[in-house]
Amino acid sequence: MRYALFTGCVAKGAGRELMNATIFSADRLGIQLNEMKDASCCGAGVMDDDNHFLADTLNARTFSLAEEQGLDIMTICGTCQGVMRTAQTKMDNNPKYKEKVNAQLKADTGRVYAGKVKVKHFYQIVNDEYGLDNLKLRVTRKLSGLKVAPFYGCYVLRPHESSDVKVADKPDYLEKLISAVGGTAVDYPEKQKCCGFPILMANKSNSLQLSGNAIVGAIKAGADCIVTPCPLCHLNMDSYQPEIEGMIGEKLNLPILHYPQLLALALGASLDDIKANTHIVRPNNALKEITA
Amino acid sequence: MGAKFFVSRYNSEVDAKAHLQEFTVVVPKGATLLDCLNIIKWEQDGTFSFRMSCRSAICGSCAVRVNGHARLACKTQAADVIVDGEVTIEPLGNLPVIRDLIVDLEPFWESLERVKPWLVPDETKKFDRERLQSHHDQLKIDAASTCIMCGSCYSDCNVLNVDKMFLGPASLAKAQRFVFDTRDSEKEARLDFLSQVNGMWDCTHCAECSTRCPTEAKPLERIIELRQEAVNSGFTNNNGARHVLGFRESIGGFKGKGGGGMLNENYLPLRSVGLSLGGMLSLLPVGIRMIMRGKNPPMIPHIIDKIGEVRKMFRRFDEYRKEGEK
Amino acid sequence: MRKHDVVIVGSGLAGLRAAIEMAGRVDVAVVTKVYPSRSHSGAAQGGVAAAMANSSEDSVESHFFDTVKGSDYLGDQDAIEMMTKDAPVTITELEKMGCVFSRDEQGRIAQREFGGHSHPRACYAADRTGHALLHTLFEQSMKYKKNITFYSEFYLLTLIMEEGTARGITMMNIKNGDVEVIHAKTVLFATGGYGRAFKITSNAFACTGDGIMTAYRAGVPVEDMEFVQFHPTGLYGQGILMSEACRGEGGYLLNGKGERFMEKYAKSKMELAPRDIVSRAEQTEINEGRGIDGKDFINLELRHLGREKILERLPQIRQLAIDFLGVDCIDHPIPIQPTAHYSMGGIPVDVDCHVITDAEKTKVPGFYAAGECACVSVHGANRLGTNSLLDASVFGRRAGKAALEFTLKAKHEKISEADEMRKAKKRLDDLLVTPGTESANDIRTELKETMSTHVGVYRTEEGLRFAQGKLKALRHRFKNVRVTDKGKLFNTEIIEALELSNMLEYSEVIVAGAMARKESRGGHARVDYPKRDDVNFLRHTLAHRIGDGAVRLKYKPVSITKYQPEERKY
Repeated sequence: MRYALFTGCVAKGAGRELMNATIFSADRLGIQLNEMKDASCCGAGVMDDDNHFLADTLNARTFSLAEEQGLDIMTICGTCQGVMRTAQTKMDNNPKYKEKVNAQLKADTGRVYAGKVKVKHFYQIVNDEYGLDNLKLRVTRKLSGLKVAPFYGCYVLRPHESSDVKVADKPDYLEKLISAVGGTAVDYPEKQKCCGFPILMANKSNSLQLSGNAIVGAIKAGADCIVTPCPLCHLNMDSYQPEIEGMIGEKLNLPILHYPQLLALALGASLDDIKANTHIVRPNNALKEITA
Repeated sequence: MGAKFFVSRYNSEVDAKAHLQEFTVVVPKGATLLDCLNIIKWEQDGTFSFRMSCRSAICGSCAVRVNGHARLACKTQAADVIVDGEVTIEPLGNLPVIRDLIVDLEPFWESLERVKPWLVPDETKKFDRERLQSHHDQLKIDAASTCIMCGSCYSDCNVLNVDKMFLGPASLAKAQRFVFDTRDSEKEARLDFLSQVNGMWDCTHCAECSTRCPTEAKPLERIIELRQEAVNSGFTNNNGARHVLGFRESIGGFKGKGGGGMLNENYLPLRSVGLSLGGMLSLLPVGIRMIMRGKNPPMIPHIIDKIGEVRKMFRRFDEYRKEGEK
Repeated sequence: MRKHDVVIVGSGLAGLRAAIEMAGRVDVAVVTKVYPSRSHSGAAQGGVAAAMANSSEDSVESHFFDTVKGSDYLGDQDAIEMMTKDAPVTITELEKMGCVFSRDEQGRIAQREFGGHSHPRACYAADRTGHALLHTLFEQSMKYKKNITFYSEFYLLTLIMEEGTARGITMMNIKNGDVEVIHAKTVLFATGGYGRAFKITSNAFACTGDGIMTAYRAGVPVEDMEFVQFHPTGLYGQGILMSEACRGEGGYLLNGKGERFMEKYAKSKMELAPRDIVSRAEQTEINEGRGIDGKDFINLELRHLGREKILERLPQIRQLAIDFLGVDCIDHPIPIQPTAHYSMGGIPVDVDCHVITDAEKTKVPGFYAAGECACVSVHGANRLGTNSLLDASVFGRRAGKAALEFTLKAKHEKISEADEMRKAKKRLDDLLVTPGTESANDIRTELKETMSTHVGVYRTEEGLRFAQGKLKALRHRFKNVRVTDKGKLFNTEIIEALELSNMLEYSEVIVAGAMARKESRGGHARVDYPKRDDVNFLRHTLAHRIGDGAVRLKYKPVSITKYQPEERKY
């Protein structure tokens, strides 16, 4: 299995531990990755606020780069995944629009998006392509006793038209993975809600309340940690957890793991391998028993 | 064999809180959820209360939450939402409940009134006949005009859940309809108002509104159109719009210079808060915290390979923008 | 007791248009049992007629004649002339208020073909014209918020009439069960139609003739109630409306043998003949075994229009058929059947919407009615498609002007609040206090079944007589109806019971008028009297309520100013 790895910005910036865990996990699973060093930011939905057409053209360029390599794209960020699939669905469903985007793309870069490439998040590849049964054979460290709260993030779920989560109102990808690696998924009402990250700059208080609600919900459900396929959700809930604690007036101390980190742990990674010490809320304590 | 309907029961005069009551309904073939609610009311419990009227998805009365998400009961085939023989029906979210499935809609109407939801024409221009509007211009307001005010988007909005002062998706979609109406004379004033706190920039893009919307109004798309219009008409003196400009500049460059193809996560927050001391100070704690953990983005921004292609694309759009201004 | 200059009951197109006309000049209250944006005007789909002549030659004269002919000559020609003349200015005003109309290539309001109209004069907003108009007026009503008091989710109980003049209403606040009086100088009813008594109907649950029956109980006669329009294209099984615009855009009807059967019934106009003719044709095909697979429906064929046109012009129609029948009209024909749709009859009014009681046009001072609940009569025995939104807009506007003029000169005449409260509460107590054993649902189901079977597209003496007996029995049973919800908070069960009492009463009036009218005209088709009879029945029915609720029929002449009745051919 070989994919063109679209890292997204966070894995290269404020969430480099995501990159470490991805490389570790992919290596253990035998998934080969060609990092797309020439791909740009997906626009994160924010470029759409500037100009739809520019944002879509930017993504069409990324698609054409992967098509050139003859590889499908693997994303490791829920937002990248959602934004790119939305752009792709829009073009695929509207040939005239696709033509317009391609004309622009060709004029500036000489490239064309043919419509062949598939864009998949790491977790889709593990669940659907690699297979959870296959994964179970590779698990060297069962996460027994670890109660994990899945947090999906908006972009992989909505809008439904471009989401690959088959039952977007009742997703279970993360739950399935968690149990495949021996952990226990806990259920809580906020697991499909918004973390608030996109309005961190515009309305910090609302943004952090949203994250706070999710963290509190997970704690109430008995979670030892949250796992999310989206590093933006991670950033809001982890980096800002001290502010959230200040707002709520109580200590939360709930670690927020990236999806590949959970995977890597089950595949034998050490806390250092997943760069656990870079987290603002270090997961060391929560993971004490399983890493002992 | 019947399906189990768990419906929310509540009477604010007597009950401290709502509870779910179970009814068994033998669902007729092709029955809508509204048909099933009526079977419960008419054949099993006359005190069960909900709103309904047109039963053809145009009046917006019968929006309820089905298995946790807002939908129009009349537009939903019961068979589509009964999972493993069960379905849960509750009143809309983000609004106080009066009785059973009936919510108090006043906060919803009030939010609508805040956007001045009527056309303000240029009174100095007189027309004997109808004003002209091109098909192209009409299409810009077509989608928003399909809104039926059912409140589904309001119910499931993530931001309203934490801040009732947020204008909310339906009102912002309504606002889009006037900002983009060629017959309206207050576009600037509207954009200015909508750029304030609680306005268009408070939306998180969570897409719940568009996902739950039973019409083509799709509020998130309308909010995005409002933002594009605000950014490109110079309503940029706020964190939300500056955040967008920060994206544009860090990926594609500022005035044709620089741009790394990726986000510059050091530049972006600073650009977003603008030239304000308070804004910059607010970033300090998290900044220090991240540096202490080695989580801060690299000081030298990452530049992608073949950056020339991306810069060229952005320069082209800069030209388009300038042409637009002319 | 609340006091306003004018109280308007009903917040659809007519009610809101009238309110806006008066806003700022007098103190206006609007009472509605729903919210304004929920009103059934919003369900109108295909268009609103006006001789704007945007897409072809057209004239007010032609619109006038088409409407007279469409009415099977029962329409009052002075009123029709007024309506068609007022049409272009009324539409222009609505456009200026901000209505989002579809546009043609020149940027003018787009116009399409519609049944019975000889020119493309249906101004439209895709296939949701009523929705576009209603929301425009709803927007305007928010603009005039300081000048209009809304009583949303209040249910009309009685019309206060003293010394032959209207002086206010009583109503129940649905949210808390309180009964209240509004004392007014002027009362305007814009409460909509009565199609809900039929099993197959396009009407909302709310269309239960509340205003018409409230006036009737207060001593005002009702006009032409036997004329109910059956729309040819109701979605099979439920009767949900599939707009006539489907045929206006080029869709056609096929029977079980795959024939475009309209050829036999209206050779030149085909599917765009007036609705009464098309509905009868369908019913005949079905009755004679030529429905699809011999069943009681036929097919509406749209596939040849192509995906693009369907998505642009008929998006709502497509979605409705998908949601309710799982049929995508891009790939399959839509199963349809005639559905009870529009109420031609209602409260008799003059061209200024002032309520009148007899052939001499004796007015009820202070009482106005407009829209579907009123009978001007501009639709006569059969309404043309797109003339209903026009009726509501034109006469809402006219009612506003006339009622304003009246109100400015009027004063609050005295009323006895205690008496009025007692009368109003009695209506509720009759339902709440009696223990009751009869199921309202059973009564309603039997009523609807009876009306659809015996008082539908085709009627016979025998069937009407059966219906008459059945309705009498149902009304007797209703006296013993069971209302289990005794609470005050949002008691929807009691509202439904009140609505049912209205349906039972007006159904008897429909049947009485239909039995007496021994002819076939427009929407009223008697198998035993298949011909129109201008000698005996070119006249309006006026039904009076006497004693304990019996119906006494009187008649009123038709205003014929220009076009002498002739045979109707399409």
